[in-house]
This record gives sequence, structure tokens and C-alpha cells, in this order.
Amino acid sequence: MDSLTLIIAEQDGSTTSQELLELVSFARMLPGGGNPTIVLVGTARKDRAEKTAATTGCPVLALTGDHLGLYNPEAFCDAVLEALGDTEPAWICLAHTSTGVDLAPRLAVNLGATCITAVEGISGTTLTRAVCAGRYCADFTPSTACTVVTVLPGAFPPLPASTDTAGPVEHRAVSPGPCRSRTLGIAENTHRDSSLKDAEVIVSAGRGVGTRENISMIRELAGVFPRAAVGASRPVCDLGWLGYAHQVGSTGQTVSPKLYIACGISGAIQHLAGMRGSQLIIAINADPDAAIFRFAHYGIVEDLTTFLPILLEELRGG
Amino acid sequence: MKILACVKQVPDSSDTMAITPEGSRVVPTAATVFRMNRYDEFALEEALLMKERIPGTEVHAVTVGPERAGSTLRRALETGADHGIHILTPEVAYLDPFAVASLIASWARTRDYDLILAGVMAEDDMEGQTGQLLAAILDLPCVTSVMEARVRPADNEIDLEREIEGGLRMSVLTRMPAVLTIQSGINTPRYPSLSHVLRARRQAFEVMAMDGPALPGPLSRCTGVRLPEISSQGVIIAGTPREKARELVRILHEHAFLA
Ligand SMILES: Cc1cc2nc3c(=O)[nH]c(=O)nc-3n(C[C@H](O)[C@H](O)[C@H](O)COP(=O)(O)OP(=O)(O)OC[C@H]3O[C@@H](n4cnc5c(N)ncnc54)[C@H](O)[C@@H]3O)c2cc1C
Repeated sequence: MDSLTLIIAEQDGSTTSQELLELVSFARMLPGGGNPTIVLVGTARKDRAEKTAATTGCPVLALTGDHLGLYNPEAFCDAVLEALGDTEPAWICLAHTSTGVDLAPRLAVNLGATCITAVEGISGTTLTRAVCAGRYCADFTPSTACTVVTVLPGAFPPLPASTDTAGPVEHRAVSPGPCRSRTLGIAENTHRDSSLKDAEVIVSAGRGVGTRENISMIRELAGVFPRAAVGASRPVCDLGWLGYAHQVGSTGQTVSPKLYIACGISGAIQHLAGMRGSQLIIAINADPDAAIFRFAHYGIVEDLTTFLPILLEELRGG
Repeated sequence: MKILACVKQVPDSSDTMAITPEGSRVVPTAATVFRMNRYDEFALEEALLMKERIPGTEVHAVTVGPERAGSTLRRALETGADHGIHILTPEVAYLDPFAVASLIASWARTRDYDLILAGVMAEDDMEGQTGQLLAAILDLPCVTSVMEARVRPADNEIDLEREIEGGLRMSVLTRMPAVLTIQSGINTPRYPSLSHVLRARRQAFEVMAMDGPALPGPLSRCTGVRLPEISSQGVIIAGTPREKARELVRILHEHAFLA
């Protein structure tokens, strides 16, 4: 393996093909990242390695073992470290997913590398990421020889699937080592339902609604539209103001209604991940610099506790 | 059992923060109010619930930060932590997650904690890696985004559910000692109780001042901070609240959302 840049993804797990193609286009923007090697970790049962080599044109190294079917931090980290041997990559890229952000810091410590997470921009060796609920973006420059990066899904355009020659594929069997944790299985979370799936209009409440009582204003606003539902940011569900069935976002539901009205929602990436595909986005927020306004088609900078009653009045009067 | 809960002080709301004139950092202003990172409140609560369930359990809280972070540590004691450790760092220093994790590791290494709990991420820096780094530095197993934890002290094991994408949960079993990062919603964080507040008032916490050479050098530098550009396609509706409401109603009619 002589690439200076590596991409690591699960063979069977949560990194989607789309995310993999985004990782390749990100890697190509890195200094010396022209020809990244894609390391796929998983069981030998899937043929993802060949497919990946064909669609990306990149060399693919498939690390396989029966113990690698479900993600386990120690097993995955050991497999990658063993494959690296004494090669010294400059960049290791993973998707910013539950797996990527779990594995990246462990790899970094073992390689004496910097770890920079949730990256959404790059210029030279400077990586840009959001801070403070997306209100600011900050630039980071690594000071180590190797940097482990998790790349935010959706931040970079996916590499167009190539018709060029497929990259070479190498399969390497990995034997299991001792692990102190064991991954037992994956199951659907029973608290979920898909009440939001069929709605054409979703009116969502964020922490900015302030109190449980104010949720009634959100319900009232939703009630104005036919086929409408009430959505929520995660903290609103954590606070028990609305049930988890209402949660929109990376760990809730992904929705793409015709209209999404975000009330008192800051626009954190995990929320955006669940509603960015909405056709029309309207945001109501008291903070003119809230990140949600970057994604809204129409923005209203107001305190919603005073503005929503006026809006409801106008809607009824009109 | 001995549990260490990592708590970070963060600004209550980022709209009271300001960018330094050189554009290199986001800093607090006179209007900034600080509080405990909410994800760490869930981690601390989980530690306190374990203490209630498992006799003989002791909960320590540690924070890394400047002088003012002491109030967050005090809050942890008021909420029920038995002992507090303040790893005191200069206000101006930029500490990357690796530096923070190294400092916590230097405290925890020789103190035989069975579990170290941290929030999944800090609301201000949003790196989401301190727990994982800490585990790797101490060579401990780590389980992230924990939504359910059942300790079996007799077996020295813990059954966990971690949250992954698409509404799925992953079941994991780990041996202790281990590091867990706690996701929001796992429990309902309690408020400080009067008895704990009174106890915390009398109780000193340990302060370890870390300055100059004692500070681990950061592995990355923050070179600039700015407000992101607002996309040009978006329209901010202007006017009085009434005018804005009327304009919004007009737009909703225009797009045929209203009957
Ligand atoms: C692994 C992981 C997964 C996550 N998954 C999800 C997810 O699926 N969905 C999700 O939503 N979040 C998720 N989060 C949390 C996410 O990072 C944010 O913390 C969350 O989305 C913030 O919710 P919010 O916008 O309601 O609250 P805040 O960020 O607190 O924002 C509140 C907003 O309300 C505004 N406001 C306050 N008062 C008023 C007022 N009176 N009038 C008008 N505006 C007001 C403020 O200006 C602010 O912008 C996840 C986090 C992690 C770490």
C-alpha cells in the first residue's frame, strides 16, 4: 500500500455508496491525495470491494474476517493498524457517521495523528468545520505528519461514478485478536414510528419554543395546513415536550415534505441531515446568525413567542 | 465501583460570543453566561443513577478549563458527585480534544476507575472525540452514543445499547474498566438537591494547575473563525412583525399551501 491517502469504510455497515464517493472527492482535494486507497473492513461475504474499485477507479484493499461483520472499535482498529504495517499515510478519511466518529480518534491515538471531525470544507491543509451549533465555522491546521479526518456526509459532491478502468482489488484475511468489548447485534429502535413520512407540510419545534406549553402554538400552526404534521428537534424530545416519533434528524427521521417550517431550531448538522431535502424551508428564529437561515428559502428573525400569535391571527383573518 | 464523570463548561448560548478582531477565535463577552454541557449532564446523571443502584459506588467529576469552569464542577457536586477535580488551564490557551483527553488521562491513569463517562460531544466545539481519545490513550474499551447501560458489577461487565443511524440500536457488551460516551435522552438529569448544595458549599475540590510545559501541545491549530455566508437563495423577510406575518401568508398562498 503506497498511497499517502487512505479512505476507510465498512464493507457491510453504515457507510453508504454515496458517502464513499463523497470521501473520494474529498480525498482528491487533499495535497497528495490524487490516488487514495480505499480500505474496506468487513466479512468476505459481500462483493463491495469489486464494485467500489469499478465505480471509483481507486485501488481497494478488503480486510476480511468473520469477526468484522458488525462494527467493533477494537477489532476494526486492530485490523487497520495491522494492514498499515509500517506505511505512513498522511491522511486517513472516514465518513462522519456513528462508526467513523467512533473509530477515528482510536486510530489517531495509535498512529500519533491528529483527529479532526465533521469536516465540511478544505483549502490546502486547512480543514473547515462548524462550531457552536453551526453558528460559526472554524479552520484547523494539523501539526502532525498524519491526520485522521471524518468528513460530513453531504458536504462534498460525490465523485461521478467512473467508466474508467477499475482499480486493483486486494483481499486480505484478518484473524481476530482479543477484544474487551463485543458487538452483539443491531435492532430497530421500538420507540419509532413514521408519522411524519406522509406529511406534505411539517411544522417543527426546536428548543427555542421555550416551554412545553408553547408546543400548542406549533400544533395550531400545523393545523392550518392540510396533510400537516408536527416535527421536533432532538432536545425537544429529550425534554419530553414531544415524543421521539416526532424527531427529525440523523438519529430521527429523514423527511422531505413540500414545506418545512423550523421554529426555534438552530440548524445543527444533525438536524439538517434530516430535513435538508424539503422543497421549501421557512425558518423562524430570534438569532439572525442562526445556521438554519443558511438553508432556509425564507427567514424571519423574530421571537416566536410573540410572532407566532400574530402569524396565526393573520392566517385566520386572511 | 468508582466512576469518573467528565463535565465541560460551555457558553449557555453562542449568540453572546464574539469573534476576536484578528478572527482567530470565538471568545466570551461580558454577556456570556456559562453552564454545564448538556450532554455531560446526561453523563453525570447516568453516573448518579449507577451510584443509586450499586451500593458502595463513588462518583467523581472532573473538568478541564479555566478558573470559571470551577462553577460547573461545583454544580456537579451540588447534583450529587462525591468529589471534584478541576484541571485548571489558562483562559487563553486553545486546547484541542487530544490535549483535554491527555489531561484527563493523566488524572485517571492511576486511580482505578471502573467507568469513565463523558457526553457524546461538547455543544460549543462539537468535536465529539474526547471520550474516544481518552479510552485510546488509557487503552480502554470505549462505547459511544450510549442510550442504555446496565452494569453487572458481579461479572465486571456492562450491557449497552448505542444509537446508530436510521433509528437503529447496536447492542454491545463490554468489560470494565471502560469509557462510555452518553447520548442525550438516556435519562432525565436531576436538579441539585438542598442537602447536596449544602454539602458542596463546604466541600473543596481538588485543583491541578496545568500551565506552560505541563500543558500537552495541541496536535492542531485553530487558524481562523468566521460567520458562515448566508446562501444567496434565501430571503430574510423585513418589516414589523405584522408586516412579516402578512408577507409570509402571501408567500404561503403563492405556493398554494393554503386552501
Ligand atoms: C450523535 C448526535 C446525533 C444527533 N441527532 C439529532 C437529530 O436527529 N435531530 C436533532 O434535531 N438533533 C440531533 N442532535 C442534536 C443537535 O446537535 C443539536 O443539539 C440540536 O439539533 C439542537 O436543537 P435545537 O435547534 O432545537 O436547539 P438549540 O441548538 O438550542 O437552538 C435553539 C434555537 O432557538 C432560537 N431561539 C431561542 N429562543 C427563541 C425565541 N423565543 N424565538 C425564536 N427563536 C428562539 C435560538 O436562537 C437557537 O437558534 C444530535 C447530536 C448528536 C451528537
